[in-house]
Amino acid sequence: MKIFHLPDLGEGLAEAEIREWYVNEGDVVKVDQPLVSMETAKAVVDVPSPYAGKITQLHGKANEIIKTGAPLITYETDEVVADKGSVVGKLETSEKKWDDGDVIIGGTKTRAPAIKAMPAARVLAQQLNVDLSQVTATGPQGLITADDVKRFMENSNENKSSSTQLTGQTEALRGVRRVMAQTMAQSHREVVPVTIVEDVDLTDLPPKSDITVLVLKAIVAAAKAEPALNTWFDGKSLERKVFDEVHIGLAVDSTEGLFVPVIKNAEAKSDQELRQMVDEYKKSVSARTVAAKDLQGATITLSNFGMIAGRYATPIIVPPAVAILGCGRSRDVVMPRNGQMVIGRIMPLSLTFDHRAVTGGEATRFLGTVIQQLQSAK
Amino acid sequence: MKIIDRFEVPYYQYLNEESQLTDDAPQQVAKDSNTLLNLYRTMVLVRTMDTKAVALQRTGKLGTYPSTRGQEAVFVGVGNALAKEDIFVPYYRDMGTLLQRGVKLSQILQYWGGDERGNCYNSEDFPYSVPIGSQSLHAAGAAYAVKFRKENRAVLSMFGEGATSQGDVYEAMNVAGIWKLPIVFVVCNNQWAISVSRQAQTAAHSIAQKAIAAGFSGEQIDGNDIIAVQHRTVEALHAAREKGEPRLLEMVCYRQHDHTTADDASRYEPKNMREQEWKKEPIARLRRYLEQSGLWSEKEEEILQAECAVKVDEAVKEYLSVEPQPLESMFDYLYASLPDIYKTQRDMLKDVEIVAHG
Amino acid sequence: MAEITLVEAVNQALAYEMEANPDVIVMGEDIAKNGGVFRATVGLLDKFGAERVLDTPLAESMIAGLAVGMAARGLKPVAEFQFMGFIYPAMDEIINHASRMRNRTRGRLTCPVVFRTPYGAGIHAPEHHSESTEAYFAHTPGLRVVVPSSPSRAYGLLLASIRDPDPVIFLEPSRLYRYAKQEVKNDGKALPLDVCFTLRSGDDVTLVTWGAMVKETLAAAQSLEAAGISAEVIDVATIKPLDMDTILASVEKTGRCVVIHEAPLTCGVGAEILAQIVEKALFSLKAPPERVTGFDTIVPYARLEKYYIPSEKRIIDAVNRLMEFA
Repeated sequence: MKIFHLPDLGEGLAEAEIREWYVNEGDVVKVDQPLVSMETAKAVVDVPSPYAGKITQLHGKANEIIKTGAPLITYETDEVVADKGSVVGKLETSEKKWDDGDVIIGGTKTRAPAIKAMPAARVLAQQLNVDLSQVTATGPQGLITADDVKRFMENSNENKSSSTQLTGQTEALRGVRRVMAQTMAQSHREVVPVTIVEDVDLTDLPPKSDITVLVLKAIVAAAKAEPALNTWFDGKSLERKVFDEVHIGLAVDSTEGLFVPVIKNAEAKSDQELRQMVDEYKKSVSARTVAAKDLQGATITLSNFGMIAGRYATPIIVPPAVAILGCGRSRDVVMPRNGQMVIGRIMPLSLTFDHRAVTGGEATRFLGTVIQQLQSAK
Repeated sequence: MKIIDRFEVPYYQYLNEESQLTDDAPQQVAKDSNTLLNLYRTMVLVRTMDTKAVALQRTGKLGTYPSTRGQEAVFVGVGNALAKEDIFVPYYRDMGTLLQRGVKLSQILQYWGGDERGNCYNSEDFPYSVPIGSQSLHAAGAAYAVKFRKENRAVLSMFGEGATSQGDVYEAMNVAGIWKLPIVFVVCNNQWAISVSRQAQTAAHSIAQKAIAAGFSGEQIDGNDIIAVQHRTVEALHAAREKGEPRLLEMVCYRQHDHTTADDASRYEPKNMREQEWKKEPIARLRRYLEQSGLWSEKEEEILQAECAVKVDEAVKEYLSVEPQPLESMFDYLYASLPDIYKTQRDMLKDVEIVAHG
Repeated sequence: MAEITLVEAVNQALAYEMEANPDVIVMGEDIAKNGGVFRATVGLLDKFGAERVLDTPLAESMIAGLAVGMAARGLKPVAEFQFMGFIYPAMDEIINHASRMRNRTRGRLTCPVVFRTPYGAGIHAPEHHSESTEAYFAHTPGLRVVVPSSPSRAYGLLLASIRDPDPVIFLEPSRLYRYAKQEVKNDGKALPLDVCFTLRSGDDVTLVTWGAMVKETLAAAQSLEAAGISAEVIDVATIKPLDMDTILASVEKTGRCVVIHEAPLTCGVGAEILAQIVEKALFSLKAPPERVTGFDTIVPYARLEKYYIPSEKRIIDAVNRLMEFA
C-alpha cells in the first residue's frame, strides 16, 4: 500500500480544492497519468500520478479542500516507489508487447529476384506498355536493354496471329490479383465474420433515385447510430479505434481485379459530391490512374456486387476494418401489403461484421438504420 | 633531500552557522545593509522561482529541471560580485547568477521548457553548457581575448565539483596559470555529482588545492555564508582584472534536491543527510543575522514573500504564453546564411508546419 | 519467463555475462550504487561487488582510456557513456587507440571493449541528450557498431558484442528503452553480429532501418499493407560491418528501397547503403532509392523535437512515391 500526499502545487498555498477526479477507486493507472484537477486560489492544475498501480482509495470528493501534504490517493502496489529511472527527460512506457512476428536472421530467400533491366529499358517498356517478363534479354549479365524492348515490339506485331497452342500456361499471380490472394487469406486467418441478410423495400423510392448515393448516405447515418461498425480493430493488441469521420471504401471492379478507392469524409459530402466521387473513381480505376493514397484509410466498405448479379453474399472484411455492406441485385417481387398482394421492388442487403469487435446487437441496429434510411428516402 | 614546496589552502567564513559575524569578517560588512538586504531579497526570489520550476515540471509544464535549492548563496553571491563588464560562463544551475545579469526569469523557464530562445540573453555572457566542464576552456579563451584586447574585465567560470574530474577543467586551469589569464574559477561543491559523492570523486583533500597544480592559489569558502561568498569573489575578480592573477574558489554547500527533477536521490543519498545539512542553509542564516541586526522583521518577510510570488507568477505567465518557434527555425541559425542545398529541406518543414501549427 | 523492456534486457545480458565471465568489468558514471540513470546496470553492484562494477569520476575520455588499458591487459570492460552526446571527449581514445590497437601491434595487443550508450532523440530531454551520430563510428576502420531495436535483440546482440574480441560501439535507442515488453529467455544465447534481421517479408518495397526508427517503419509497413502494398522491413542491427547481401537480395526482389534513419541526411549511414545499392543492384531498381532521415540541422530542443524525428507519414509518402513508378 502506498499513499500519495498532495504535493505543493507551486502556489505556496497550504491547501487546494478538488475540482474533478479523472479516476475512480479500483482504476489501474500509469505513471504521469492525470489523476485529478485541483483548484488553488490562483489556478486550476492537473496532478499527475507519481506511481503505477491500482487505486484503492480517493481521499476526498469533488469540492472538498485538501491540505498540502495530506493524503490524496492510496494505491495498492508492490513497488516501494515507482522508479521512473532517468536523470533527464521522460521515457515513454507502455504495457505494449513487442511483437517480433517471424524474424529471419539475414534475408528471406523466397521468390527469385525480379527482372534485371537497364533503367532506360524500363522507362521505354513503361511508355510502350511492354511487359518486361516477356522480353528476351541480350545485354551484359543477362540484362534487358532498350534495344531488346524495341525488338520485342517489332516481333510481337508480327506474331500476333501465330499463337495456336492451346496448352495453358501457369502464371505467377502479380499485382492486384496477387494482393487479393494474400489479403483474403489473411482475412480468413484473423477475422471472425458473421453475415446478416435482409431485404430493403425500395418500392416507394422516387423514380430515377441515385441508389448508390442513397446507400452511401444510409451508411453514414448508420455509422453515427452504431459507431462500433465504423472502427478499426487490432486483433494482436486488442485495441480498437472508433472514428467520427466516415471514410467509405467503394468496391470497384475492373479487368485487373477489385479496387477499393476511399470516399473520404462521406459524412461531410453533399449528394452531388458523392455521385461525382463515385463516377471519378470508376473512371480512374478503369484507367488504372487511381492514386495509391486513395486506396487507403477506409473505415467501412460498400460493395455493390448486385450491379452484375447475385442476391445475398458473405462479403469479406479486410482488417483493420470491421464491417462491409453488400448490396445485391434489385428485383420486383410479389409482396403482402395491408393484406393485399402487390408488386414491389426489393434490394437484398448483406452485412458482414467482425464479431471480435462488434456485437450482434450493434450490427443488427446498424443494418436496421440503413434500411430505415433507405425506406424513408425522398 | 630538501622540501621544494609546501602549500596552503585558506578557508573563509564570515557569517557562521549561528548567524554571527566571525572575527576575521571584514569591518564594513556590518555597515553595508543595502548589499545585505539586496542579497537576501535575491536569494528569496531565487528560491521561490526554483520551487515553482520544480512544481511546473511535476505538472508537465516544464521539461527536466536542475534545482538550486540550498545553493542560493553561491550563485547569488557570485552574481552580486561580478562587475557589469565582466563575462560570466555558467554551467546549468546558475539561475541565481544569471538573474542579476540581464536574464529574465521567463527566459530561464524557456530554456528548460525546450525552446532555444531561452539562450538569447541581453548580455555578453556565455549560454549554459551541458557537457560537463567543457565551458571552462571557453572561459579561458574568452579571458585570453580580454587580455589581448587589453580590456578591463575578468571572466568567471562556474562548475560543480564533479566537473573538476574532467580533463577539460584541468586543461583550462593549466593554461590560465601559465598565460596569466584574467579568470576566476568558481566551484559549486554541493557534495554530489548525480549519485557520486564528493568523497568518491577525488582523493584530493580539497578541490581548492587543484589550483596549486596549475600554478595559482585556491581557497575554500563556506558556500552557505553569502557574505564570505560575495566578498571573496569580489577580491578574486579584482586580482584577475587588475593583475591577471587567476584563482580557484571552492564554495562548500549542499545539494538540497535531487540532481534534476528526473533523478531520485533516495536511491543513493544517506537518509537524514539533507535534514542535517539544512541546519546550515544560507537563507535562514542571513535572515537571522538581519533580524538580529534590526534590519528585518516578520512583516518585511511577509511583504517580500508576496512580492516574490507575484514576480514568479508573472514570469510563468509570460513563459506559458510564448508561441513555439516555426518549424523552419531549425534551419535559421545553422550558418550565417543558409547554403542553397539545405533550402529544399527547409521547405519540407513548411508543409509539416501547416499540419502542426495551422 | 517474464516479459521485459529493452533496458531490462540490457541489464539481463550484463548480469548473465558477468556471471559467466569473471573478467567482465562494468564501468561508467552513476552505474554502481544508482544502477545507471536508466537502470541499465541496476543490481550489478550487489551481485558482483565494487571491484567489477565501477562508479568512475566524471570524465569521459578517462572512461574510454581506462577501458583501452584494461582490455589490453586481458580484462573485458563494458564502459557506459551516460548519453551519446557526451561520448565526444572519448573520441581520441576510441579512434586513435581502441580501433587501432590490434592493427598497430600486429595482434599482440587487442581491444575487446564494449562502449555502450543511450542514443537518439524523443525523450524530451535538454539539449545534447538526443544525438544520433553512428556515422562517426561507422566511418572508423577497426570498430563494430551495433544497434538493437527490441528487447530480444538487445539481449542477444549485447552478449555477442561482449564476447566479440574487437571494440564494439553499442548504441541503445533511449526512446525504446521502456516502450514495449517482450519475453526474453535468459539462456545466454547470443545473436549473430554482422548480419541484418528481416522483420517482415514483402514484395513491393524494401524498408531498411535500425534502432528506434524500426518502430515507425513497422507501423508504416502495417498501414501500407492495408492499402495493398507489401513492404519488407530489414533491421540492419550491425551498422558496421554492413550486411549488404541481405539488403541487396531484398532490393533485387522488390526493386524499390527506402532507407530510414533518425541521423541527419548528409553522409548518414543511409548514404553508404544507397551507394552500394546503386553500385550493385542498379538494374533491379524500378525506382530511384530514397532516404527518409533527420534534417541536416542540430536536433531542436524539446519543443520542436518531434518534428525532427522522421514520422510514419514521411515513410509512407516515400513508398507511395516509389510505387508510382510501375
